[in-house]
This record gives sequence, structure tokens and C-alpha cells, in this order.
Amino acid sequence: MPFAIPNYNVAIPEMFVLGMACLVLIVDLFLTERSRTVTYLLSQATMVGAAVLTLTTYSQEVVLAFSGTFVRDAMGDVLKAFIYLSAFIVFLYAKPYLQARKLFKGEFYVLGLFGVLGMMVLVSAHSLLTVYLGLELLALSLYAMVALQRDSIFASESAMKYFILGALASGMLLYGMSMLYGATGSLDLGEISREVATTKMELVMVFGLVFIVVGLAFKLGAVPFHMWMPDVYQGAPTAVTLYIASAPKIAAFAMVIRLLNDGLYGLHMHWQDMLVILAILSMAVGNIFAIAQFNLKRMLAYSTIAHMGYLLLGILTGSGDGYAAAMFYTLSYALMSLGGFGMIILLSRAGFEADRLDDFKGLNERSPWYAFMMLILMFSMAGVPPFLGFWAKVSVLRELIHVDMTWLAIVAVVFSIIGAFYYLRIVKLMYFDKAEDNSEIKQDLDLHVALSANSLGILVLGIMPGPLMALCASAIGVM
Amino acid sequence: MGFEQFVFYVFAGLLLFAGAMVITVRNPVHAAMFLVMTFFTSAGLWLMLEAEFLAITLVLVYVGAVMVLFLFVVMMLDINLVPLREGFMRYLPVGILVALAMIIMMGLVVGPEFGAHPVPERHGPDYNNTAELGSILYTVYVYPFELAAVILVVAIIAAISLTLRRRPLVKHQDPDAQIAIRKQDRLRIVKMDSEKK
Amino acid sequence: MIQLSDYLIVSAILFGLSVAGIFLNRKNMIILLMSIELMLLAVNINFIAFSYYLGDTAGQVFVFFILTVAAAEAAIGLAILVVLFRNRRTINVQDMDSLKG
Repeated sequence: MPFAIPNYNVAIPEMFVLGMACLVLIVDLFLTERSRTVTYLLSQATMVGAAVLTLTTYSQEVVLAFSGTFVRDAMGDVLKAFIYLSAFIVFLYAKPYLQARKLFKGEFYVLGLFGVLGMMVLVSAHSLLTVYLGLELLALSLYAMVALQRDSIFASESAMKYFILGALASGMLLYGMSMLYGATGSLDLGEISREVATTKMELVMVFGLVFIVVGLAFKLGAVPFHMWMPDVYQGAPTAVTLYIASAPKIAAFAMVIRLLNDGLYGLHMHWQDMLVILAILSMAVGNIFAIAQFNLKRMLAYSTIAHMGYLLLGILTGSGDGYAAAMFYTLSYALMSLGGFGMIILLSRAGFEADRLDDFKGLNERSPWYAFMMLILMFSMAGVPPFLGFWAKVSVLRELIHVDMTWLAIVAVVFSIIGAFYYLRIVKLMYFDKAEDNSEIKQDLDLHVALSANSLGILVLGIMPGPLMALCASAIGVM
Repeated sequence: MGFEQFVFYVFAGLLLFAGAMVITVRNPVHAAMFLVMTFFTSAGLWLMLEAEFLAITLVLVYVGAVMVLFLFVVMMLDINLVPLREGFMRYLPVGILVALAMIIMMGLVVGPEFGAHPVPERHGPDYNNTAELGSILYTVYVYPFELAAVILVVAIIAAISLTLRRRPLVKHQDPDAQIAIRKQDRLRIVKMDSEKK
Repeated sequence: MIQLSDYLIVSAILFGLSVAGIFLNRKNMIILLMSIELMLLAVNINFIAFSYYLGDTAGQVFVFFILTVAAAEAAIGLAILVVLFRNRRTINVQDMDSLKG
């Protein structure tokens, strides 16, 4: 059999992250409790190094490697860069939270790094096999991270629920993949897309597609496959919720694009209808149920479900501009979500989680600066102009109108107006209610700086959304 | 009915019977045993499909390792079986309905679509399934292969970090320290005058 | 001769059984985990049948990886189960009502 030595150069960032994850794992064994910061610093160095390696070799070219199971393209590189950024911020925010709860162990960072590797594999997948393996590498790391707080009933319960539903979703996805393999005779996404165009087995393809969309919806947390999201977000330690809510959403976006666009674009007619239903249900359930929540983490979980609905709106257009809008939405969402959970960590301390809405009462009296930061985040999530979330929603809706789905755009606007209510309620609590607890906010300096930078970054991107939008457009390949 | 068909129906029948028992028996240990039976019978089916390597791996890895792990956990956790069965009868009609609907739907798609697929020739006696899998696994699929290794590492880290408990109060032997001991560490010779009466 | 569709129907019935198992045993974590194993087995039978009838080894390679990942998954699932049992003294899903909303 002819076999060429693979082109390893394109996968250097992946190899670097894997090598460093193993190094961190070994170094951590020899560290005492007090020198655990070394693990943290090495993890951060990994993220910085991977970013340097990815960005210095950035190009618009599409390169296939490892017999077509791996693809390196501009979209993948930009998404990976944002995954590194999210993971960097997560590791930074998580440190004081973990230290205060005796959870500051190497496992969090090692599993976090392996999760990042899983996301990178997923982003660069060009075969059903690598989609599956990347997804599982990410998912297994996440299950373990949720359960890492071993003495917490909530954490282990939510880990179990997450695990069962995640494994079920993988089973569904795999069944769909087996049907695609049967109909096309190949695992390669490029090959599959060529086969789809000429196939006589359309029924089998659509049948497989149904299972794949169900699996994807589970992983994204789109209604009616969202049951795990609120429980996991609430039950997991906030540091882990922060991780789950940010970078994996970027990887999930990539997975949807790889499977539905790169592989199954020929069935666009069919998956568009399915995504329309998922998107409407997600926006409705997410926004309406969020109103009834008293726990901020749970509320943000429902808000995530709603955001996933808007993300699907961009993807279902099936156009390059639509994907660029959805990508812009995903990246903005990841930044806002980091800020939101970062605020919970900022207010929390040992033995106090600060995850109830009431814990944000009167924040303006305690700290006008952070009340303002939270105001930026909430306005941005609600989609109030001129904040970042507004531009994200506008760009998705504009693409919907371009493909003559104005009715869907109107539905989306109605739900986002309903959704604005619960974000603005937090602003009201912060500015117009009396504080229940007047203790000073004591956190490390790096958390203060990073969180302020995160929120101000969202403000700046809201005022000047052009560069990020242009980056997404050029990454997807529409200029 | 040819011999091949007879073997197929025996294996398929046993597989589905055991599968049905896994989800309905009361005792988790029995369920695990029936799961072992489903693995054995499907390994039989895989042998008929000339996937010898995977059929043997299924028995060795699944029955030999994963199911033993299941049994260990079932035995280790002292589970009260009665409450676990609550709601079984209540969900039974819905469960049967959902399963039947799914099976009929799936059957209607895969039955006619793949009903008339040409049956390939059997390989000759010199065909080596393991060699063929190995030759592409380490070349064409080297990237997924490395990823599978990483996934196993993650599983090891996760399983250890979730379940390992250090009990500082438990007394245990330290052979290293026992061997390294010297006479003067344990024995003190005290010089003293002989006692006078 | 045995047709490809025969294998696919066996696998479809097994898949249906595993979904029913998840429905029926909502309370028993161990059986839930076993139902998921059944589901993966159904998928594996599909892949191997396709691989044989299409004359393409890629399907068998996929099964090789599914087996590996499923073993890893079982290990993590059981580890979480053990942690849960130590906290709750039960593996009853319905007792898991600490999280609601």
C-alpha cells in the first residue's frame, strides 16, 4: 500500500499541547502543596506557546494531513486562537476559587489541557473518526472535571447526569455516522460530501442526518435536548462551569460546521428545517425559563440555551456570511460568558458561592466599578446597543433576512426582548436594592485586572465590532 | 436454510434475547452476565463478517476487562435493589412503545435500502484480518491511533483522581523502611553496674 | 445467503432495546451504563456489517476506536458512580433531586 510520511508540521500546536499536558502531569507529581503554582504557570505557558505556534503559521491555505483525517485552515486557526484565550482566562479566574476550596490540584489543569487538546482535534477534524475522538477527549475531560469536587453531592450528581446524557448523545451521533458510512462507504468528510452530491441513497443519508443532528443538539444544549445544562451549570464548581461555558462552545460551533457544512452540505435543505425547529425551541425555552431562576448559574445556563438558539440561526442559513455571523456570535458569547462566571468567582469566597441573584443586590454600594463591569456584561448578553451582544445578534439576523427568512428573524427579536428582562433585573438588583452582605471584595490582583480587561474588552469590541467581524469573515473565506 | 443462515439466526436470536434480559432483570449482577452473553454472541456475528481481530478483542477486552470492572463495582457498592425497580412497571408501556416505534422506523429505512446489496466473496484461507487492520492502523490512521492513546490517559487520570482516597490514619507496613533499618536504630545497649544484693 | 439488511435489522432492534432500557431503568445507574454499552454494540455491528459488505476496512478501524473509547468511558462512568455512592449511599437517579428548577 502506498503510504507517505505524514506532514507533521501542520499539527505542531496539537503536539505541543499534548507534550506540555504530559509534562504538567509529571511535574505536578513532584510538587508540594505550596509550590502548586508551578502547575498553574506551566499551563498558562502552554496556552501562550500554543497561541504563538498557531498564529505564526497562520495562513489562508487549506492543508490536509494524516491521510485526510486532519485539516488546517483559517477558520480552524482563528477558533483555536480563541480557545487558547478562553482557556487562559479560565485558568486565571479559576485559581483563587480553587485555592479557597482546597481544589487547587494538578488534575484540574491537566484535564483542562487535555480538554483543550480535544477541542483542537475537533476544530481540525476532517473525518468522522477524528470528530468522534476529539469530541470524546473533550467530553471525558469535562465529566471528570465536573466530578472533581469529590465531597460535594451536587457536583457528583450533576457529573452523573452529564455523563449519562453525554454518552447517550455520543451513541446517537455514532449511529448517524454508521448510516453515513453505509451510504457513502467513506469516513472522510470530503469524500462524503462528494458522495452526497451524487447519491442514490438519499433516504439513508437523511436518516443518518437525523441522528447526527440529535447528537449535535445534545452537545450544544439545544432544546429539546437541553436537560443536562441547568443541572451541570449549577452543580459543578463555578471554576468548572466557567470552563464548560466558554471554550467548548467554540469547539461545538466548529463541530457543527465540519459535519453539516464540510460533510453534508448536499443535505442543506433537510438540516435547515431541523435546525429551525431547534433554534426556535431553544430561544423560547431558554429565555422564558431563565426568568423563573433564582440561582445565577442556573439562569446563565438557560441564557446559554437561548444563545445556542441564536447561534443555530446563523448556521442554518447555510451561507458563508451566515457562518461568519454565527462564528462572530460564538466568539462574543464565549467572552461574555467568561465575564459572567468570572463575576461570580470574584464575589465568592471560601464557604460562600455568590451564585444566588440576591448575592448581587446592592453591588453598586459595595463596588461601583464591578457593578459597572457587570452592567456591561448583562447589557451585552441582553443585546442592548451598542454592546457586543447587540452586534452579534444583528449580524445573525441580517443574514437570516438575506436568505428570505424574515419571519424567523422577527421571532428571534421577540424572544430576545423577552430575554432582556432577566438580564436587566440583575442590573436593577445591583443599583436599586440594598446589599445583604457588605463585606469587602477580597481577591488577588490578577483576577481584578483580568476581569476588568475582559469586561472593558467587551465594551471596546462593542464600540468597534468591525475588526472582529472582518476576522470571522476572512476566516470563513468570504471577503 | 443453509448452515450459515442457521448459525446467524442462532447468534442473532441469542443476542437479542440477552439484550432484552439486560434491561429487564432485577439483579444488576444478572444483568452484567447477560451483557457478557450479548458480547459473546455478537462476537460470533462478527466472526461471520470476517472481522476476526475485533471479535476476539471484544471478548478479551470487553468480557475480560470492562465487564469485570462492572461486576467489581456492583459488588463493591452495597446496593439496595428494591427502590431501584420502582417505576419500572409504570414506564414499561411507554418504553415498549418508544422502542417499537424506533425499531419499526429504523427497519423500514435499512430493510429495503440495503436489502439487495451484493454479498461479497469470502476471503481465502490465507487472508489475515489482523495484519490488514494493523497495516492501516499504524499508517493511514496513525493520528486517530495517537488520540486513542491520549483518551486512555485521560481515563486513567480521571479514574484515579476521582476514586483514590488517602487515609492518613490507616496503619500499614513500609517494607522499604523495614529493610533499611540498622541495628543501632532499634537496639540500645545500656552499660550499667551489676546490681548488688 | 444472509443479506446486509439482516445484520442492520438485528442492530436496529438492539439499538431500540438499549433506548427502551434507558427509559425503563431511569432509577438504576448501573443498568443505565449497561444500556449505553448495548447502544455502542449496536453501532459496532452496523459498522462491521457495512465494512464487510462494502469491502472497506475503514469501518473496522472505526469499531476499534469505538471499543477503546467505550472502555475509557466505562471507567470514568464507574468512577463517577463510586464517588456518587460515597456521597449519597445510593445510585438511585430519582433520589437525585438536590438540583431542581
